[in-house]
Amino acid sequence: MRIEYKPAIRPTQPTPICSTVAYALSFLFPHRDPCFSQLHSSAPNPNFHSKSMEEYPDELRTPPIALSCLVGCAEVHGLITAHLHSQQPPINTIALPDFSKISLIPPKKPPRETSEPVAGIFRRDWLSKHRTRIPAVVAALFSSHDVSGDPAQWLQVKLRINHFSYILLMATIRGRNIKLVVVVVTLSGHKDYTSEDRMVALRKRAEVDSKNLIIFVPDDELELRQSLNRLWTAVADLANVYYRDEGRKIKVRLEKRSFSSMELNVRYCFKVAVYAEFRRDWLEALKLYEDAYHALREMVGMSTKTPPIQRIVEIKTIAEQLHFKLSTLLLHSGKVVEAITWFRQHTANYRSLMGSPEVIFLHWEWLSRQYLVFAQLLETSSADVQHVPSMVSVAAEKPTEWEFHSAYYYQLAASYLKEKNVSLEFALSMSEDVGPIDGSAESVVASAYLGQFARLFEHGDTCIMQSLTDDEYVRYALAEGKRFQDSFEIIALLKRSCEAYSNLKAERTAAYCGLQMAKEYFAVSDFGNAKQTFDNVASLYRREGWLLSLWEVLGYLRECSRGISSAKDFIEYSLEMAALPVTSDAFEPSSKDCGPAGPATLSQRGKIHEEAFEVARGESELNLKEQNTELKVNSDYPLYLEIDLVSPLRVVLLALVAFHQPVVKPGAPSLITISLRSQLPTNVEIDQLEVQFNQSECNFIIGNGKKPHIAAISNIQPGRRVETAPSLVLATNKWLRLTYEINSDHSGKLECIYVIARIGPHFTICCRAESPASMNDLPLWKFENLVETIPTKDPGLAFSGQKAIQVEEPDPQVDLILGSSGPALVGESFILPVTISSKGHAVYSGELKINLVDTRGGGLLSPREEEPFSADNLHVELVDISCHVPEDQSEAPSDKIQKIQPSFGLISVPSLDVGESWSGQLKIKWNRPKPIMLYVSLGYYHQSGEPSLQKVHVHKSLQIEGKTAVTISHRYLLPFRQDPLLLSKIKSVSDPDQMPSLALNDLTMLIVSAKNCSEVPLRLLSVSIEREEDNDACAILPQHEEFRESVVHVPGEEFKKVFTVIPKLNCTRLKIGTVCLRWQRDSRVEEQFDFCDSAYQVTKHRLPDVNIELPPLVVSLECPPHATLGNPFRYSVKIHNQTEFLQEIKFSVADSQSFVLSGPHNDTIFVLPRSTHVLSFMLVPLGLGSLQLPRVTVTSVRYSAGLHTSPASSIVFVYPSKPHFEASDMKETRTNSVVAE
Amino acid sequence: MIVCIAVVGHQNNPLYIQSFTEADDALKLHHIVHCSLDVVDERVNNPKKSGPTLNETFLGLLYPTENYKVYGYLTNTKVKFILVTTDLDVRDADVRNFFRRFHAAYVDAVSNPFHVPGKKITSKVFAERVSAIVKSFGLSSAV
Repeated sequence: MRIEYKPAIRPTQPTPICSTVAYALSFLFPHRDPCFSQLHSSAPNPNFHSKSMEEYPDELRTPPIALSCLVGCAEVHGLITAHLHSQQPPINTIALPDFSKISLIPPKKPPRETSEPVAGIFRRDWLSKHRTRIPAVVAALFSSHDVSGDPAQWLQVKLRINHFSYILLMATIRGRNIKLVVVVVTLSGHKDYTSEDRMVALRKRAEVDSKNLIIFVPDDELELRQSLNRLWTAVADLANVYYRDEGRKIKVRLEKRSFSSMELNVRYCFKVAVYAEFRRDWLEALKLYEDAYHALREMVGMSTKTPPIQRIVEIKTIAEQLHFKLSTLLLHSGKVVEAITWFRQHTANYRSLMGSPEVIFLHWEWLSRQYLVFAQLLETSSADVQHVPSMVSVAAEKPTEWEFHSAYYYQLAASYLKEKNVSLEFALSMSEDVGPIDGSAESVVASAYLGQFARLFEHGDTCIMQSLTDDEYVRYALAEGKRFQDSFEIIALLKRSCEAYSNLKAERTAAYCGLQMAKEYFAVSDFGNAKQTFDNVASLYRREGWLLSLWEVLGYLRECSRGISSAKDFIEYSLEMAALPVTSDAFEPSSKDCGPAGPATLSQRGKIHEEAFEVARGESELNLKEQNTELKVNSDYPLYLEIDLVSPLRVVLLALVAFHQPVVKPGAPSLITISLRSQLPTNVEIDQLEVQFNQSECNFIIGNGKKPHIAAISNIQPGRRVETAPSLVLATNKWLRLTYEINSDHSGKLECIYVIARIGPHFTICCRAESPASMNDLPLWKFENLVETIPTKDPGLAFSGQKAIQVEEPDPQVDLILGSSGPALVGESFILPVTISSKGHAVYSGELKINLVDTRGGGLLSPREEEPFSADNLHVELVDISCHVPEDQSEAPSDKIQKIQPSFGLISVPSLDVGESWSGQLKIKWNRPKPIMLYVSLGYYHQSGEPSLQKVHVHKSLQIEGKTAVTISHRYLLPFRQDPLLLSKIKSVSDPDQMPSLALNDLTMLIVSAKNCSEVPLRLLSVSIEREEDNDACAILPQHEEFRESVVHVPGEEFKKVFTVIPKLNCTRLKIGTVCLRWQRDSRVEEQFDFCDSAYQVTKHRLPDVNIELPPLVVSLECPPHATLGNPFRYSVKIHNQTEFLQEIKFSVADSQSFVLSGPHNDTIFVLPRSTHVLSFMLVPLGLGSLQLPRVTVTSVRYSAGLHTSPASSIVFVYPSKPHFEASDMKETRTNSVVAE
Repeated sequence: MIVCIAVVGHQNNPLYIQSFTEADDALKLHHIVHCSLDVVDERVNNPKKSGPTLNETFLGLLYPTENYKVYGYLTNTKVKFILVTTDLDVRDADVRNFFRRFHAAYVDAVSNPFHVPGKKITSKVFAERVSAIVKSFGLSSAV
């Protein structure tokens, strides 16, 4: 629920106010049990304030609301009250059921005589009286029945009600000048009762204006609303008039200065301001409150008959109230800067007005309350108002950042409350007789005037107020003060402030609040809370290096640890204090007031140091006087401090460890330097040092040579290395350097982890080792001008030394040989021999790891495959690892590890003695050509049966190319001198993707050629064409040919094989099959690995699909294979028509100089369906050698296609005379139809 | 009267802090100086609020405690100077003038080749010069 309490700058504009405004502020400050604060509660409540704003009376905290009164007709009161209250501005109502109750309104007092002295400034109940008991307007409600009858008999009508009450009513309201509204309540059905003349008569009788006479109709919705609105307007107007008149009346007195005393001046100003507030004239209210405030200010120092102490108390109480009003008005109108400036002025005015020294605590309490209340006001208004500091005000007077935040005021409230506490204690100690106050304190009560107290005497039924003397008052105040304990309030205020500052990211101010809070906890011996809070504060001071503040906090922490009897904390804090860089030099004469630890000086540090070590050695037990607890360090309670890299105790002991080399061979000695430094003010003698490594067998102990007996005390494990140093004394800021040899047999990292110092039998400091190279500065000492020393003698080591050393592996004495035999061929299982031969080490538990890695880093899978892992996708895979198992070593196969994955293999190597060797083969298969990198590594132990030993590793790698061995190509050839007319060839334009076409039932040659692309000779074993569909669509011969004597295929050579294809089925897409060529590497390899004899690889080449069609015409040329000079021979052209149509063929023959030709030269002929026409020529050769036959051009008219014989097919060789051929040669030529190009 | 003057380094650590009071309140002044660093941070981080003081080394009044006024100054190397005075009526010009002279003294002190930047200022010459400046505070303008 939020309120707006805005003074209206333009009075015509209604100011929005929430309907429940009267109570809104009290919601903001929920009531708590007032008794609660008086109790000495064990836990402080953060929302706990003794004298906060909520203790102000309601009427002061809330803006005044006009008050009206309803008399008579009690049945409609509820309606009217609710309506008036819900309007803007709202009006409160007192509801009186009948006229006899009118006496509840207090009658006007007789005017005060001017001679009478003024007893006080404000009456305590004046404001509440006007807020709750004196209405501005009385609404007299009559039922319409009451006004019925003849208007002339009005008097009788009135008599019927109760004449006496009426007179009383009129007297009351006239006396107080209260305004009257007459309301006639009538039902909608009885309108005739409220006729014009009756109303006029009634108005006259009651002396009201016509607008103030309202006819109220409760049973009609519309009329009800109208009448309610009219009533509200009338009441609000009249209330305004009333308050204005009242205010004006007093204002006149002010203007005439017709008052006898300053008290009245203040009082009048206040009253006018309150009336202005009733009228919502905020500006006037503000002005008059200011006048009142200033008038009050003038009263300070004026002597009166009131005793001076009480006088000041009264003035301050009034000032507080006036200031509260002013601040509220300013803040709620958004004038935050003005409010703050005003508050500053207010506190400045009264801060010096301390009053009598006996009751100076009252002054501090009052001041604290000013801050607290202002903080609360600021907090509640800041929700509404976005305060932006205005730039217009003078820079010097501009409020600073924190003054806009409640945290600032809470903090000061706490600090004044603290002040109050101190002075109260002082005052109490000065007047020890305050305890038993003869019962008179109980009878002191607040008197009728604000800020005054009086003694109450009871005489039977009547009470008499008697004013107090100052002495009595002081005793009363002290007695009251003693009843409260302020520590928890101080803590609560500080906690609030601390949280608020933390939210503002003002951590230092928050820490300061925390410090005050912790001190308060400490004061009430709540050591747990105090320690926690101090710890938080200390961490900030540590971080920022505020030594004096840290010294103070640590001093408190030391006392807290003592309070909770924690020896460990006590010693930690003591040592930290002792090692603080406090060097009381000439510049700053050290302050005495530095907390419980005394002044921050070097000698004090020494004292603290000694005290800590006495406790740590168990030589002294600190007994606390009050509590029967003690700080003990003995065998039951040993003390163990751990110092890590962030510990504040690094200044106490810093351990740097540096190896002199970065790497070392196993078993070889290496030097290590341990450097210790302390900033403690006096020397510390260490009894024993232990250095711990991650390899525990390297740990060693350094004993103090001067105290040999001590070493026997601590339990040294048997076999542990013990060194003795001549002395182990740490002087302030001097390095204690110890250098030792260290030997590790284990390869890997050897790191120093802890350096443990033992002092006395039960005190251990475990210090985490640091490297000099990465050492951070000491947190607090880095700001000091200190002689810089290096931790090691060798300055290089000081900058680069590391606390860890790398122990290498022993050198391998085993050869790992990868036999390489050139590039691998795709398809074959490439055999790679691996040999392990021992040269100096025996091999135990050897393991051979094989890794295949793509040299281009792309992985062995082909990039397109996202499919599940399968062998088909692998370009290269490791297929097998085989080895020769020696016959005599019948090892159980169980302990033989063998693990093979496509790119990874692991195999165990049998134990080998020195000089022995072992070999095996890796079988790697390439599915696609790809270069790979093969990594082989051997790990082994060179001694058997010692698992603690480190394995020795040998690594080898080899790059292997994978290449395609054979590429196969093919082409089709038609039979010699025979050309079918294939229509598809004519129609389509030359297209590279076009399927080859073959003639149906015609013989076609298929030439398959295989080229050796590799760099090794290959041996071809067989070639075959595997049919895909087992049908008779075409006949291929030969199907399969095994070479009786395998063909050796040298690199670059091309091997050709001819097949005949006769398509038997007319179809557009005939699958021919796949050429399979079986081959293997040539014998050279074979000699080494005899088992590879049977292994062969198959290269496949799928023949593309072909289109089969029936050629309509087939033209074939016929002539003898050779001719003899001068001998005529027949040359014929056969045209075979395979169609059912008559074909018209044109032909022409070109003459040739080499031949004499007889026969038709050119003509058009018709070839009958399914018949053959033969053009026959006789030729006589005239020349010798290869001669071009006369060119015959045949053209089919129907298909517009011509036959142009190729020059190669129309050549004949002419011998000079008839040659003689051997019969066998002839045969050979015919069977081997190899066509050499 | 100036009661305390401080030089505060980059990590908000005191490089030089000197109080000039008879009373034994060094610790209190330390706290005042330390808390005022929050205001410096606030002003430096939200320059828009401080408006005209943007790009100016003099930060103005940091906060008024009841008995003291705290002024701040930020050098171009982000070293902070904090001044605590008991004079409640101080002229801005005086404070500016003081900081200007103090800054000059600081520059001379850290220009010493034997001074390590970031460490406390222990120069006696600096201390003497500072106390001379402090003594003449408020007088210089009258002269």
